[in-house]
Amino acid sequence: MAGTGTAHLRGGDAVLKATDVNVRFKVPGGTVQAVSGVSFDIMRGETLAIVGESGCGKTTLGKAILQLPPPDSGSVVLDGTDLTSLSGEALRAARTSIQMVFQDPISSLDPRMTVRNLVAEPLWVWNRGSEDERDAKVRELLDAVGLEPDLVLDRRSYEFSGGQCQRISIARSVALEPAVLICDEPVSALDVSIQAQILNLLQDMKERYGLTMVFISHDLAVVRAVSTRIMVMYLGKICEVGDPEAIYSRPAHHYTSALIGSVPIPDPTRRTGRTPLRGEPPSPMNPPSGCRFRTRCPAASDRCAAEEPELREVSPGQYVACHHPRG
Amino acid sequence: MRRLLGGMDVFTRACAGWMSLMVLLAVVGPFLPLPDPREADFEASAVGLFSPGHVLGTDSNGYDLLSNVVNGARTSLMIAFVSVVVGGALGAAIGIVSAYRRGRIDRVVNLLFNIVLSIPNLVLGLALVAILATSSDPSVVISPSRRVVVIMIALTCVVLPVLGRIARGATLTWINREFVVAARSMGMRDRHIILRHIVPNVLPAIYSVGFLAVGVVIVAEGALSLLGVGVVDGVSWGAMISRVAGEFTFVPHSMYVPVTVLALTVIASNQLGDYLRSRLDLREGRL
Amino acid sequence: MSAVMSIRDLVVRFRTPRGVLEAVRGVTLDIPEGASVGIVGESGSGKTVLSRAAMGLLSGSNVDRSGSVTFDGAELVGLPRDHVRQHFGTGIAMIFQDPMTALNPVRRVGVQVAEGLRIRLGMSRKDAAARTSELLAMVGIPDPAAAMRKFPYQLSGGMRQRVMIAIAIACKPKLLFADEPTTALDVTVQAQILELLAGLRANLGMAMVLVTHDLGVVANNTDFVAVMYAGEIVEQAPTTELFANMKMPYTEALLKSIPTVEARPAGRLPVIEGRLPDPTDRPAGCGFAPRCSYAQARCREDHPPLVDAGNGHLYRCWFPLAAPARRS
Ligand SMILES: Nc1ncnc2c1ncn2[C@@H]1O[C@H](COP(=O)(O)OP(=O)(O)OP(=O)(O)O)[C@@H](O)[C@H]1O
Ligand SMILES: Nc1ncnc2c1ncn2[C@@H]1O[C@H](COP(=O)(O)OP(=O)(O)OP(=O)(O)O)[C@@H](O)[C@H]1O
Ligand code: SF4
Ligand SMILES: [Mg+2]
Ligand SMILES: [Mg+2]
Repeated sequence: MAGTGTAHLRGGDAVLKATDVNVRFKVPGGTVQAVSGVSFDIMRGETLAIVGESGCGKTTLGKAILQLPPPDSGSVVLDGTDLTSLSGEALRAARTSIQMVFQDPISSLDPRMTVRNLVAEPLWVWNRGSEDERDAKVRELLDAVGLEPDLVLDRRSYEFSGGQCQRISIARSVALEPAVLICDEPVSALDVSIQAQILNLLQDMKERYGLTMVFISHDLAVVRAVSTRIMVMYLGKICEVGDPEAIYSRPAHHYTSALIGSVPIPDPTRRTGRTPLRGEPPSPMNPPSGCRFRTRCPAASDRCAAEEPELREVSPGQYVACHHPRG
Repeated sequence: MRRLLGGMDVFTRACAGWMSLMVLLAVVGPFLPLPDPREADFEASAVGLFSPGHVLGTDSNGYDLLSNVVNGARTSLMIAFVSVVVGGALGAAIGIVSAYRRGRIDRVVNLLFNIVLSIPNLVLGLALVAILATSSDPSVVISPSRRVVVIMIALTCVVLPVLGRIARGATLTWINREFVVAARSMGMRDRHIILRHIVPNVLPAIYSVGFLAVGVVIVAEGALSLLGVGVVDGVSWGAMISRVAGEFTFVPHSMYVPVTVLALTVIASNQLGDYLRSRLDLREGRL
Repeated sequence: MSAVMSIRDLVVRFRTPRGVLEAVRGVTLDIPEGASVGIVGESGSGKTVLSRAAMGLLSGSNVDRSGSVTFDGAELVGLPRDHVRQHFGTGIAMIFQDPMTALNPVRRVGVQVAEGLRIRLGMSRKDAAARTSELLAMVGIPDPAAAMRKFPYQLSGGMRQRVMIAIAIACKPKLLFADEPTTALDVTVQAQILELLAGLRANLGMAMVLVTHDLGVVANNTDFVAVMYAGEIVEQAPTTELFANMKMPYTEALLKSIPTVEARPAGRLPVIEGRLPDPTDRPAGCGFAPRCSYAQARCREDHPPLVDAGNGHLYRCWFPLAAPARRS
């Protein structure tokens, strides 16, 4: 199978390394190739941003890393252990090294539990520490995410705003001191004025707990503020991977360039927020042949329809899957 | 609990009051200074309301209506509560687990629920009673207590798929919530996820529909009696109705009394179900 | 330029169990003919309530509306519902944030677009169908004939929003209210929809009120901007003037707190601490005072009036930023 390639993998001691991950969903009328042939690696302390539009498979990939559900094929290696080969108790234990913060801060908290129980839950599941130690840890975590423990401990999630719920989620997700934290659009549901607070908090938590992060987002502006490496996805495949500076200043893939160009910039003296793209993403049930982006690409040629592009290096540390990359 | 009672309007309070009274009567009935419900007072048969010694009158057999209402509450409510609690617990357990597991088990369970639900309540009840509570030898009399048990089993079978489906549906909506995914990602066992996250969220739906089911079951018990397969010669509201079914025109109050009590109880339990739902949904509504 | 809609001292109050909630507190705003006016602000600042109230679309027994709204010279406040309704479609039209809930899920797209044409303009079934197909082509839907036979759920979010726009412009309105029309869409689709709206506006000579929380969207798609905070307009100016010469600390803070694709901020992102004041219990002074880095004692005591800085630039602040605004 013509994968999207693994040229961008760096070898060495990656904390997390996914190779040729495929996730399919059976839906009425066919199969959705939500993630196909995606590979990536993350070094300790990095923040890998996964960027792309709605439905391109970002969440599915994030969950596949956690084995929720496990990918249909491919491997996910965490600190030398292939998670896809584990099951039952071993998988349960291994999962604790990867935690996830979800997009919808309200739906990711059980409305019937108090904040105390919500944050202590991971500790309870793994029987970490005595009751008192857990309580102390919960206080420490709440304090770290900027909530006053005494004011919030006995309240329930529905009494909090979206931003506060997201703080609670973050506190909970770092309770087990995971190696990798996957943040799935952690600020998309939040108001503009709250977004920056949560992004800052994530940076603080990363430093404080030595986290390696996967940051999923559709918003290139948000991604720019937090990431150290960027992976752009389109319809289940990787378009471009690389260092943010390179990607923002010289996007090599036409899709990346369109994404960056579409972001409106708050400055009326500059014409921004335009896109050269025609149409909308095709149905993931029967993706276009060859390059999946060719139906909307301004540079598409016959070759793009016939042959699937492989990821290759266009500048040091910048990899693109395109037959006619931007110069 | 105090918060639950706090917001009741007058009608709901009245319903709660009526329900409590019925439950109280069911418990203390036998100790009240009332005539034996099974003992006919031949001196005063078919006397009207507020007759001396018979506050609610008697039927044409001379059975005291008040005593039958009070002692019948015991049987009728017991049948209702037992079948709803047992049917609800089993239904909820089956519904929740099958929805959580998905796959083939779930499809089979759902099919079975649908099949049972497609049979009208009474036909199902009748069929079950016919199978369980008839003897091949007509000379063997089936004791009222055995009939009560059989009716409970039959009505449990009626209630089970109703509550089971509701539990299944509610579970399906909750398991897609991200907090369930979050619980799995922190390595929680399925058993704990079900007990800690699914059950507490599904229960409100079960409680409120359970109250509605109490009403349905009380009516079903009455209807089965009318059809001659209820607790025919026992003491229950349904039995009272069936005994006087033919005499409605002569002794109307002997019909009105049990029907009124039964209707009020059904209304009260429906209202309490609705109230409970609106109260428990409130927290969800605020999301 | 005359105003197609004039809003004067508009006040909207909701009577809630927690007390009276003043969601819009004395807003005065003109929407010039053919112009695009942006309304920006945080969630809960009253943008939606303001636009709904201006259109006379707030219903419910717990709503009080006072002030004046004139459309095309006619007063709308106090007018019976049926009279206000006459203006809908032909005079005022609207599109919403979520096109899925705004479209009827069980009716075909073609029928929903044609409905307005048949009812409002009295077109025959055939004419309406032909016009529907034209409209769908106009809003950039490929193969309009096929799209007309589809149900809303068979279309993507962007396509549904295009259908909403087709419905809105069907009767050539003079004014289009767009409440966060692209918030639920992807950036590339957002760019396409905003471009479409700009093109239609130019062609039809239609004025637009664009409600959004995104200053980036405002900067490139509007002629005038009103910044709302806690139910009031706190700053209002022609768009270029506003960005070049910001007066309100709130507008500046809002602008600074949004991350951009332009540059990676060194260190922490600037934030606006705190939250909107409780709408049932508003502070006496400036609503932004508790969160403002320039606030002084006076800000907490006296409510700042709307000051005219010339050039159509109004602001509500005791200590406005020096001109030109220092921006990082
Ligand atoms: N459980 C599922 N069953 C069937 N299809 C699914 C399921 N989950 C996701 N999909 C499909 O897989 C594709 C990828 O979905 P995914 O949620 O991963 O996208 P995403 O990039 O996270 O999008 P968004 O930005 O909207 O969150 C979509 O086409 C989606 O419809
Ligand atoms: N029908 C209503 N009854 C009571 N309060 C209401 C009602 N509608 C809106 N409000 C309140 O009015 C205030 C302003 O709400 P509005 O919806 O206008 O905000 P917004 O600026 O549009 O925010 P968003 O960006 O979230 O859409 C809020 O405090 C809201 O809770
Ligand atoms: S491969 Fe072809 S279609 Fe795909 S992005 Fe490159 S030029 Fe465009
Ligand atoms: Mg997603
Ligand atoms: Mg709004």
